[in-house]
Amino acid sequence: MGILHLGHVSKDYVTEGSPVAALHDVNLEFQAGEFVALVGRSGCGKSTLLNLAGAMDFPTSGTVLLDGVNTSNLSDFALTQVRREKVGFIFQSFQLLPTLSVIENVELPLMLAGNKQARLLASERLSWVEMDTYSSRMPYQLSGGQMQRVAIARALANGPSILLADEPTGNLDTTTSELILALLRRIADQGNTTILMATHSMEATGKVDTIVRLQDGRVVDLTRVTQFSEGR
Amino acid sequence: MPALALFYRLILRPLRQERARTALTVLAVALGVAAVIAIELAGQAAVGSFRSSLETLTGSANIEVTAAGGIPADVFARLATAPYPLKVHARIEDYAVIAGKVKRTVPIVGIDILSEGTLNSAGAGEAPEGASDLRIDDSVWLTSGLGFKRGDSIHLLINDAAADFTVAGVVSGQAGEAILMDLAPATRFLRRGGRLDRILIEAPATHSIEEWTELLRKDVPDGITIARQGTQTDENRHMLEAFRWNLRVLSYVSLAVGAFLIYNTISVSVVRRRFEIGILRALGAPRVAILGGFLGEAACVGLLGGVCGIVLGRILSEGAVKLVASTVASLYFSSRPAPIALTWEYVLLGLTMGMSIALLSALGPAWEASRVAPIEAMARGRSEHQARVHRWRMAAAALLLASVAWVASRQDAVNGKPIYGYLCALLSIIASALLVPLLVSVMANVTTGVISRVFGIEALLASRILAGSLRRTAVLVGALSTAIAVLTAVGIMVGSFRETVVVWMDDILQADLFLSPAVPGGVDRHPTMSAEIPLQLAQLPEAEAVDQLRNYEIRYEGLAATLGGMDARIAGRRRKRSFLSGASADKVFRQLIGTDSVIVSEPFANKHRTKAGDILKLNLGARVGAFRVLDIYYDYSSERGVILMDRETLFRYLPGAEPNNVAVYLKPGVSVEDGQRAVERVLAGRMVAVARNGALREQAIKVFDRTFAITYVLEALAVFVAVTGVGSALLALVIDRRREFGLLRFLGAADSQIRRILLFEAGLLGALANISGVTLGLVLSLLLIHVINKQSFGWTIQFHWPVMVLLSALSIVYVATILSALYPARIATRLIPIEVIHEE
Ligand SMILES: Nc1ncnc2c1ncn2[C@@H]1O[C@H](COP(=O)(O)OP(=O)(O)OP(=O)(O)O)[C@@H](O)[C@H]1O
Ligand SMILES: [Mg+2]
Repeated sequence: MGILHLGHVSKDYVTEGSPVAALHDVNLEFQAGEFVALVGRSGCGKSTLLNLAGAMDFPTSGTVLLDGVNTSNLSDFALTQVRREKVGFIFQSFQLLPTLSVIENVELPLMLAGNKQARLLASERLSWVEMDTYSSRMPYQLSGGQMQRVAIARALANGPSILLADEPTGNLDTTTSELILALLRRIADQGNTTILMATHSMEATGKVDTIVRLQDGRVVDLTRVTQFSEGR
Repeated sequence: MPALALFYRLILRPLRQERARTALTVLAVALGVAAVIAIELAGQAAVGSFRSSLETLTGSANIEVTAAGGIPADVFARLATAPYPLKVHARIEDYAVIAGKVKRTVPIVGIDILSEGTLNSAGAGEAPEGASDLRIDDSVWLTSGLGFKRGDSIHLLINDAAADFTVAGVVSGQAGEAILMDLAPATRFLRRGGRLDRILIEAPATHSIEEWTELLRKDVPDGITIARQGTQTDENRHMLEAFRWNLRVLSYVSLAVGAFLIYNTISVSVVRRRFEIGILRALGAPRVAILGGFLGEAACVGLLGGVCGIVLGRILSEGAVKLVASTVASLYFSSRPAPIALTWEYVLLGLTMGMSIALLSALGPAWEASRVAPIEAMARGRSEHQARVHRWRMAAAALLLASVAWVASRQDAVNGKPIYGYLCALLSIIASALLVPLLVSVMANVTTGVISRVFGIEALLASRILAGSLRRTAVLVGALSTAIAVLTAVGIMVGSFRETVVVWMDDILQADLFLSPAVPGGVDRHPTMSAEIPLQLAQLPEAEAVDQLRNYEIRYEGLAATLGGMDARIAGRRRKRSFLSGASADKVFRQLIGTDSVIVSEPFANKHRTKAGDILKLNLGARVGAFRVLDIYYDYSSERGVILMDRETLFRYLPGAEPNNVAVYLKPGVSVEDGQRAVERVLAGRMVAVARNGALREQAIKVFDRTFAITYVLEALAVFVAVTGVGSALLALVIDRRREFGLLRFLGAADSQIRRILLFEAGLLGALANISGVTLGLVLSLLLIHVINKQSFGWTIQFHWPVMVLLSALSIVYVATILSALYPARIATRLIPIEVIHEE
């Protein structure tokens, strides 16, 4: 079984009485180290799928198995543990805490998880993304691309098995986007980390292993760009 | 109308949407206004009433004649026979206790019952029934409010005796409660020895009052005072002014703390809506509209707070009036509170207070809002606008204010009011508020490393969030620290005062047993006991010495004072720290014997600027005496001045061997129990209370605590307002930073960690506020002790740390502050991360 499995997953939002189906009978399975692009028009359900995958939200019906564990059956405590250990998030708008320095932002998830070697691990992650020379800067002293690199380092802090990225290059220019995508590619290859990336950019799809096309909450197309199997 | 619609949409709707926060802000204003209104109402009721206590039934008299120690009867005769068309009424005035289930102390007035015109014109309205009975010896007439009928029997305690009287009639007295009695029995029961307490004169309008008093003064000896009726009452009321003033100032503390919080609310709403303001400006809204909008928001909060405050103040005044009245009674005059009257003036005052405090504190943030440039609508790069805080500039301003405050603290009182003292307090509070931003950022920089190592990531986040919204944090710390400062300052002052009084009592309460009549005395009431009591006690084999004190109510330079005569041979023997000069008590007291010399209490010396060596001219009875002031002694028993002389000296001027208090010193080896038994045997049948030394001290301390009870209530209110403010501000912080809290959840924060962040924030706010509050409080306490108290009351208070009281008060405040974060923490843990994370 893969690292992430979605079986007959549907997600309805109820707004003013009438339910909106954000996802409808989605069946997907991803392997460790697989780099996946979720594409589709705005409102097709990409962010919703990422939230379900990261155990930040739960399906109305169907099951989401994260590393073999059904997220719907977990206690609040266990969910927090899962998020800490297995999942990393990256956002379009970078989302660094403005009051914390670069290194402190990266340390944050480690410290929340009670890791004693936060500083050490954080600087290691920063050097992965080549931001180690900026560690004492404050977020507002960075460019957008630099911020996103810090955000990636932070998402990787706890060594997650799955990285969820919601339009990570949406706020960046083409050149910077290239850099970020290359970085994500490297992470997938070297760290054996599954990456699920929602994106609008066509360039982005060139770097990935798998492209999932969503339309009105349904998977309409799944393309394996590279032949991908567990234990490749 | 579109302006109103826009005002509703842009200002009122957000207020309604954040109901909890709006409610807390309104509550803060309401409590501040309530404190002011309650104190005003209670002060008015307690102070406005002392007139009705003895100044009952003055009728249409327009001139009054008084003299220290009573007016000799021949003065009455001279006035009554003066060749002018005057109506002259003689009066004896005192207090009696109506025995019964509830003991009530009621003024007793002796008048010439038989001349029925007297009673008529004295305001009683109608001639009392039964006045023609000749058995007037045991007859009393009561005002209708006392609830007796004609023919009832009434048991009265007068001085140290009890007697039964028959109610001969009920009169409808307009001015409160009183017992009327004929002059002759009154003279006897009240031991007046033929002297009158007051002569009321109705003078026709052919001359002005001034001319009449000028005329009449020629007919009476020098010591007699002739003045417009009501002069003394006015003077007395004037004396109470300083007291009311101080209380009033304390009641404004809550309002001031509330001001911080309105400032915070409005400035939060400005910072939060900068983007929105930018859009509005870009869409063509003029600056004034923005200014008006935010001022309007403040006005709504102020108006609502004012209305709630008035209602709350009226409710609180019921309790406050009891506390204020007991303070007035123990410091100034016997009084019974008048009913509380919430007039339109007070309603207007409350509304004005609420509105003006709200508008004033909103002025700064609203002005800032109106300065937002339309271009800011586009500037969405920075996720949150950081309110600029000029830490160093503010610190410099603080230094400047502090020096002005220092100068102010060196100034003299204005009209007996410590105006400059309060100015100094206000400046110190503002100065310390200006220093807070620096303190917060220094603390944040210095301690974050330590904090995160000791308390973990939650504490680090908390401290960063606080330092990140520096202005908001500074305002909150300012509010809380002001409340804590006032709590600390008044706590230290009252604690020091208490300790000073305890030490002083050790010094002056040397005797073993103290006797006083069962009729309760007061600062202006001196019930007596028979003259033979001390003589008989002196014969007891158990007694080593017996001292006695006789007090008279006198006036000096228009102020009420107490003139006392004690046995200088005995009183000074064991005292050590009696005099300001440090002179030996024994020596000074010995100098009092046989000479026209006095010692005066410290409040007296302060009020009248008396120094040792001065000569005091005192009107005593019909005579005027000149007395040399030997020294000034510490006295904390009353706020009014006291002049003490040897009783032999006193008796050369005034009659009355009956003492008010007797002190018995037991021989060494005699147990207090045996002594008390022996004394009680002598007293058999007399209504005299015997108190042991320890019991008397306890009683005194109880009175002391009651006197200051009202200050505790006001402080508690201020602290409550501040803590409420912390809660409401943390709530705002959670709402403003919800994106960050959501993010933390994405990064793996548990509920408990989010909660701890909020609790740490409250804890840090509390810690900062405690540091600056206690420091400021110490400064204010020195100001209270050495300037404000000295100028308003004239006591020397020895500084003393009431450690336990302060520690427990501050801990309670601290815990309350932390608890105030519970609700915001709940809101923070309930945020839905995927909803807030993408919100801009
Ligand atoms: N909290 C919510 N309540 C109601 N409806 C929601 C909620 N969140 C999302 N939706 C709806 O679910 C559908 C999918 O939303 P989602 O955010 O997953 O789209 P998306 O593919 O990420 O779009 P975009 O590319 O614009 O980010 C949309 O129709 C949206 O309106
Ligand atoms: Mg999306």
